[in-house]
Amino acid sequence: MRDRGVFIMIAVALAAALLIAIAYREDSGRPRGMDKVVAIFKTSGTANAFWESVSEGVESGAQDFGFDVTFRSPRDEIYVDEQMAIVRSAIAERPAAIVLAASDFHQLVGPVREAKAEGIKVVCVDSFIETEDADAKIGTDNFEAGQKCGAALLRLLPQGSRVAVMSYVQGSSTAIGRETGLRDSLGDRLEVTGTSYSSSDERIAYEQAKAILAHEPALAGIAALNLPTTLGAARALQESGRQGKIALVVFDSSPEVLRLMERGVIQDAIVQKPFNMGYISMETVRALLSGKKPKPYTNTGSVDVDKANMFDPENQKLLFPVSGP
Amino acid sequence: MRIRRIQATLVRAFALIVVMTIVLLGAVSLNFFRKTLVDAAEQSTMQFAAQLSRVVDNYISYMNDIALVVMDDEDVRSYMAAPAASVARDRSRIGQFLGSIRKVRKDIDGVFLVPGRAAEGPSLDVLPAFVIASSPGEGVNPDYDFGRLAKKVGATSSGDNPFVSSAHVENMVDGRYPWVISLVREFKGKDGAALGYIQVDLNYAIIEDLCKSIQLGSSGYVFILDASGDIVYHPRQQLVYGNLKTERIGELLGLHEGFLTSVVDGRDILYTAKPSERTGWIIVVVSYLSELLSESRRALYTFMLLAILCFAVSVLVSSFVSVRISRPIEALRRSMQEVEKGNFDMDITVECSNEVYQLARDCDIALKKVRDLIEQNRKEGEQKRILELRALQAQINPHFLYNTLDSIIWMIELGENQGAIDVTSSLARFFRLGISKGSEIITIRTEIEYIETYLSIQKTRYKSKLDYEVAFQPELYGCRILKLLVQPLVENAIYHGIKNKESPGLVRVIGAMEEGAMAIRVIDDGVGMDQGRLEALRSSLAEPLGFDALAGTDPSSGGVGVRNVQERVILYFGQGYGLSFDSSPGIGTTATIRIPLVLEADP
Repeated sequence: MRDRGVFIMIAVALAAALLIAIAYREDSGRPRGMDKVVAIFKTSGTANAFWESVSEGVESGAQDFGFDVTFRSPRDEIYVDEQMAIVRSAIAERPAAIVLAASDFHQLVGPVREAKAEGIKVVCVDSFIETEDADAKIGTDNFEAGQKCGAALLRLLPQGSRVAVMSYVQGSSTAIGRETGLRDSLGDRLEVTGTSYSSSDERIAYEQAKAILAHEPALAGIAALNLPTTLGAARALQESGRQGKIALVVFDSSPEVLRLMERGVIQDAIVQKPFNMGYISMETVRALLSGKKPKPYTNTGSVDVDKANMFDPENQKLLFPVSGP
Repeated sequence: MRIRRIQATLVRAFALIVVMTIVLLGAVSLNFFRKTLVDAAEQSTMQFAAQLSRVVDNYISYMNDIALVVMDDEDVRSYMAAPAASVARDRSRIGQFLGSIRKVRKDIDGVFLVPGRAAEGPSLDVLPAFVIASSPGEGVNPDYDFGRLAKKVGATSSGDNPFVSSAHVENMVDGRYPWVISLVREFKGKDGAALGYIQVDLNYAIIEDLCKSIQLGSSGYVFILDASGDIVYHPRQQLVYGNLKTERIGELLGLHEGFLTSVVDGRDILYTAKPSERTGWIIVVVSYLSELLSESRRALYTFMLLAILCFAVSVLVSSFVSVRISRPIEALRRSMQEVEKGNFDMDITVECSNEVYQLARDCDIALKKVRDLIEQNRKEGEQKRILELRALQAQINPHFLYNTLDSIIWMIELGENQGAIDVTSSLARFFRLGISKGSEIITIRTEIEYIETYLSIQKTRYKSKLDYEVAFQPELYGCRILKLLVQPLVENAIYHGIKNKESPGLVRVIGAMEEGAMAIRVIDDGVGMDQGRLEALRSSLAEPLGFDALAGTDPSSGGVGVRNVQERVILYFGQGYGLSFDSSPGIGTTATIRIPLVLEADP
C-alpha cells in the first residue's frame, strides 16, 4: 500500500513535469507555422493607388495576426479569366485562406466554391460574388456611398438642377450600388439627365463628358462614379472652361483628384477606406481560422472629402500616400 | 483511534514541507525576479523613448538652424524687406540658394520664404508669385491657403520660438503632396518688424523610418502624439482614425511622462511616454509585457520543473527513510506478536543500528529474563514435584514394611514358623530387590516381582482364602513404572475386598497396552463398594491432593495408598494419567492405573 502511494506521487510529479515541458514548448517563441494566405485583387497594387492601399492594410494585418501573405493579381480588372486561373492555382497551393476581390460578380462563383470544397476559407474584399459562398464580405457599402454622393450634390446645387451620372461598367455590382444610392438620395429634387458608362476608360469618359457638356448647356452637376471616369470628366470640364461652374462630385481619390479639388474643378469626393478593407480582411481570416464566426459583412465605410477638409489630419492619411509621388 | 502508518505520515509531512517551501520561495523569488525584469523593461523602454525624443529635438534644432542660416543671408534679408522691389534674377538666385540646402540635406523636403505683413509686401492674392521655394522648377501652388498658415503661426509662435507643426501633407508646391513636419519662423527685419515667414519642411519619412526601425519584441511599436493629442506618427494610423484600434491618448497626454499599463486582447501592455522638449510631442513606446517578461516565464517553468523534481526526490527520500525507520519497528512488532501468542522461545533480532535496535535489544533481554523466570519456575516446580514424589515414595516403604511385619508377627503367634520364615525371606528379597534403593523408576518386570512377592506374603497369611493371578503382556516387561505403584492397590483389594468376604477371593493383576498407554488393572471379586462409597472415592481422586494434604494422614489407613498412587502418577506422568475405579457391591472392585508407555532406554 505504501509503495502504491509513493508510486502515485511520483507518477503525478512526472505527469506534471511533462505538462510543464509541453506548456514551455508551446510558450517559447512561435513554433507554429504561420498560416498561408493568398490575396487576389482586381489588379496589382503597384499599378493602382486603391489596391496599393488595400495591400498595405493586408500587410499590416498579416503582421498583427501572423500570416504569410502572397499577392497575386491579373494585369487588369477586365481579365476575368486570368483572375479565375489565379484563384485555381492558389487553391492548388492549399493556403489557409484566400482573400479575393472578385473581378466578376458571376464568373468567380465557381472558383470560390472549388476553394471552399478544399476547406480553404474565402474572404471577399471590395467586390463580391453573387452567391453567399464566401465566408465573409468586407467592403464599402456602395449604396450608402452613392447616397453620400447625392447628398453632396444636393448641398452644392439648388433644387431642380440638372445633373449627369457618369458610371463605368453597366451591370457591375459596385456601379449599380453607387448609382441606386445616388438616385435614392436625390429623389426628384435634382433632375438626372441620364447615365453613361465609360468601361473604366478615362479616354471614353472624356469623350462622353465632352458630349454631355456640349448637349447640356444647363448642366449644373456631374457625378463620376469611379476614378478613370472622374479623370476623363475633369479633363473635359477643364477644356470646356466650365470648371467650378459645374459641380463635379466623384468617387475615390488620387493625387490628381486632390489637385483638381484644390483647383476647384472637383467639389467633392467620396473616398473609400482601402487600408481598412485589407486590414479587416486579415482580422476576419484570423477569426475564421480560430473557429470563430465573424460578421458575414463588414462595411468599411466611406468619407466625404471636399476642399475644406481634405487636409484635416484624419483625412490626410486616407488621401495622401505617405511615400507619394 | 485510527492507527496511522509512520511511513505515510512521514512521506506526507516531507512532501508537504518540500512543496510549501518551494511554493513560498518560488512565489517570493519569482515575484522579485518579475519586478526586476519589469523595472529593467521600463528602464530600457524609457531609454528608447528618451533617445527618440532627443533625435526628434535634434532634427527640430537642426531645422531651426537652417532657418536661421537662411535668415542671416544678406540677399534674403533684403528680398524679404522689399520683395516687390526685387527682380526675377534675385528671386532665382535665392531659389537656388534654398534648393542647394535641400539638395545637400535629403531629410529637408523644402525651404520656403513667404514675404508678407510688411508695408511693401505683396497682398495675399498675389503672394504666391513672391513666395520662393527650394524647388525652383516647380511653381508655388496658387490655391495654397497662406491665410491659414499665418493664423497658425500667429497663434503659436511667440518671440524667437518657432512653430513646429504636426505631421501633415504639404501642398505649397504645385502638384506635390509630400508628408512633412514643418518648422515656421517669423522673419523679422533689423528694426524688428515682421517681414513674413520662413518655413523649413522635414521629410516625414525620416520620423517614420526612425520609429519603424525600433524593434520592441515582435509586436512592440512606437507612436508619437503632438501636444494636442493628434497623431504625429502611428504605424496603424488609419486604424486609429477608423476606431479599429484605440490608444489611451487622453491618459497619455495627462501622464506626459511615465508609464501606463493596459490590457488589450488579453495581453498586458506597457506604455512608456516621454515628451520631446522642443516640439512638445509625446513619444510613446508600446511594449508587450509578455515579450519583455519571457525570461520570467522561463524562470517560472524552470522553477516548476525544479519543484517537481524536489517533490519527487523528497517523496523518494522520505519513503526510504521511513522504510528504514518503520521496517525494524515492524519486525519488532511481529516478534512481539509471536511473544503474545506465547512463543517465548525466540530471539528478537532487528537489523538496524538506531534506537529501535536498542529497543529490540531491550525487548530481547526482557524476553530472555522472562524465559529464565519461566525456566526457574519450571525447575522449582520440578524440584517440588520430585520432593513430593520422594515424600510419597518414602511413605509407601514403611507402609509396606508395617503390613508385612504385621503378617510375620501374626504367623509367629500362630506358630507357623515355616510361614514366618518364608515371609521374612520374601521380605528380605523384596528389600534386596530394591525397595530401599534410591531408584524411583523400575521396570515392569521388577514391579511384577514386588507384586508377586507381596502376594506370596499375603497368601501365606490368608492361605486358601486368597487366590491371585498376575498377568502382563510380555511387551510391557521392559517398560518403566514408578516403584510400588501397583502394590498399594493389591493391598487395598485384599484388605477391603477379600478380607471381609466369607468365601475365598481372587485378586488378579493384569497389565495391557491400551490406546498407546499402559493400563494395569487390579481386579478383585470381593465385597465391592456401594455407589455412595465409589462416588466418594472417585471425587477424592479428582481433588488435587497436595503433598501437604497427604502429609497429615495416617499412612496405614486404606485411602492413603490410593491417593498416594494417584498423586504420584500425576506428579510423574502429568495430568491425563492416573487411577480409576469400578465397583459393584458383592461382585468386586476393579482399579485401573493408566500410565504412558516409557521404554527402558528412556531416562
